[in-house]
Amino acid sequence: MTRKAITRRDFLKAASVVPLAGGFVPALLSGQKTETAAKVRVVLVRDKDALDANGFPQAEVIQKMLDQAVTDLLGDKDPVAAWKKIIKPADIVGIKTNAWRYIPTTEQVEQAIKRRVMDAGVTEDRIGIDDRGVLRNPVFQNATALINARPARTHHWSGMGSLIKNYIMFVPSPAAYHPDSCADLAILWNLPLTKGKTRLNVLVMLTPLFHGIGPHHYSKDYVWAYNGLIVSLDPVAADATGLRILQAKRREFFGEDRPLQPTPHHVYLADTRHHLGVSGEDRIELVKLGWQEGLLI
Amino acid sequence: MPGKASNQDFDLSSLIPKEIMGWKAEEKDRLFNPDTIFDYIDGAGEVYRSYNFKHLLARRLTRAGKPALVADLFDMGSAKDAFGVFSHDLEGEDRRIGQGSNYKGGLLSFWKNRFFVSVYAEEETEETRKAVFELGKDIEAAIGVEGKMPDIISWLPDEGLVADKVRFFHTHLILNYHFFVSDQNIFLLDAETDAVLAPYKDEAGKAQYRLLLISYPDADKAKEAHKSYTEAYMPDARGAGVIQTEDGKWTMAVSKGTLLGVVFQAPSESSAKGLLSRIGDPKKSIE
Repeated sequence: MTRKAITRRDFLKAASVVPLAGGFVPALLSGQKTETAAKVRVVLVRDKDALDANGFPQAEVIQKMLDQAVTDLLGDKDPVAAWKKIIKPADIVGIKTNAWRYIPTTEQVEQAIKRRVMDAGVTEDRIGIDDRGVLRNPVFQNATALINARPARTHHWSGMGSLIKNYIMFVPSPAAYHPDSCADLAILWNLPLTKGKTRLNVLVMLTPLFHGIGPHHYSKDYVWAYNGLIVSLDPVAADATGLRILQAKRREFFGEDRPLQPTPHHVYLADTRHHLGVSGEDRIELVKLGWQEGLLI
Repeated sequence: MPGKASNQDFDLSSLIPKEIMGWKAEEKDRLFNPDTIFDYIDGAGEVYRSYNFKHLLARRLTRAGKPALVADLFDMGSAKDAFGVFSHDLEGEDRRIGQGSNYKGGLLSFWKNRFFVSVYAEEETEETRKAVFELGKDIEAAIGVEGKMPDIISWLPDEGLVADKVRFFHTHLILNYHFFVSDQNIFLLDAETDAVLAPYKDEAGKAQYRLLLISYPDADKAKEAHKSYTEAYMPDARGAGVIQTEDGKWTMAVSKGTLLGVVFQAPSESSAKGLLSRIGDPKKSIE
């Protein structure tokens, strides 16, 4: 072994000082302390009309939610002007979506993003929406900008289906990133196809999955209508915020603090080991817009 | 011969009925192997790969106006690995199908012989629940002969054992899934090792602690693993093999022959020693 193993006893020692949050102490995993710095802005927007009575996303409401989030995030009252801060007409834009059959990103979210990218001056032929085909998609091969949009959910092997993880389709062998419950997924953000290209992250919280069972890690029993979007320039901060909501829902549903299995430590390691963004609640400025009922955090 | 043939000769497609209660199989089944399983079940494929799975046949059955049913039949190659992968997810109520079963949220899972089976309805209704059970029973009947549980399970002491929560596995990734010990493979686990994580209750039935029992291919490997574990996890035990950890509970490790046993979270030193001394196989018992 090349480095000292981190063991359960390290967590027990830490817990004797600070109670464990969800059975997990992020800083332990890198042996590094996070530095004091400015807070990262994350916008959580919710609308009670985001879904219809059958649970289908309402396109106009989704567009309104995205606009609210992006204008607040980027500090411009006009959504098009706000998008022009992150997307230029000359950009080639890949909208990295997620096509998981049970809870996809949704076409409504994809189209809301695409509309604003076009409003920012990018012609339709220079915009791609893709998930599993990104390596073969010419738009993604030549992209100068990426918009990362995926649903939040628990995940059988990484703990959380996260924005960080959504770039796993940019490698030909995703399984190569599976060791230690996908601990080092943040490396995916340093690939030639992805490095420095992400302009916006949208964590879809319309119908998150907070617990999974069986080979497909899915049951309708563990999905709820949260009607939200989390938007940030920082994927780690957005994921960490989504994770807090998933854990809060688990506490509410199970009546006890039931940590995710496996632990979603890739989110924290993206901060402490890979410095992709920030994960600590104390480092995140969370703005909550819209519907407040059942907010959970 | 398909169906109830010898242990080697199952025809996977013949084990799942093509029609049940009006639901009919879609035209094509889907077949996956350890390299392609991620195309079907994403990262969860790692669980099945860690249990040496060979093939997965997925069949979808549809009926007009009704939620679809999906049957996933995993050929795990051996009964012990079929049991192992079943033990990975123990949520739900036992429906007494196969050699062990669980049902929860529209999902029935069970194991029999070298097969792990998952049957679920895309939406749970009274009718789909009944169809899922009927489908499961038909598959169980088609498999026919039962398989043998892993030997290591029979070595676990009975007293205090929470028998329906025992996990069998090979790799440290699965160990950590259920009970985090270390980010590194300090027990030197691999496909050649059989391991079991078993919860126990104390005499009052209150405190719960765990026995990790590992069987290595040879005694040298067991000794090496014991040393690796001790150095990483309890160097302060200074060779005593037992220590009170930071939560006030006791951890003890002993190896003998090809076995390594470790008790975690025991309420007392004596309870840890007592549990290790009761490990069952007379040829390999640990004292």
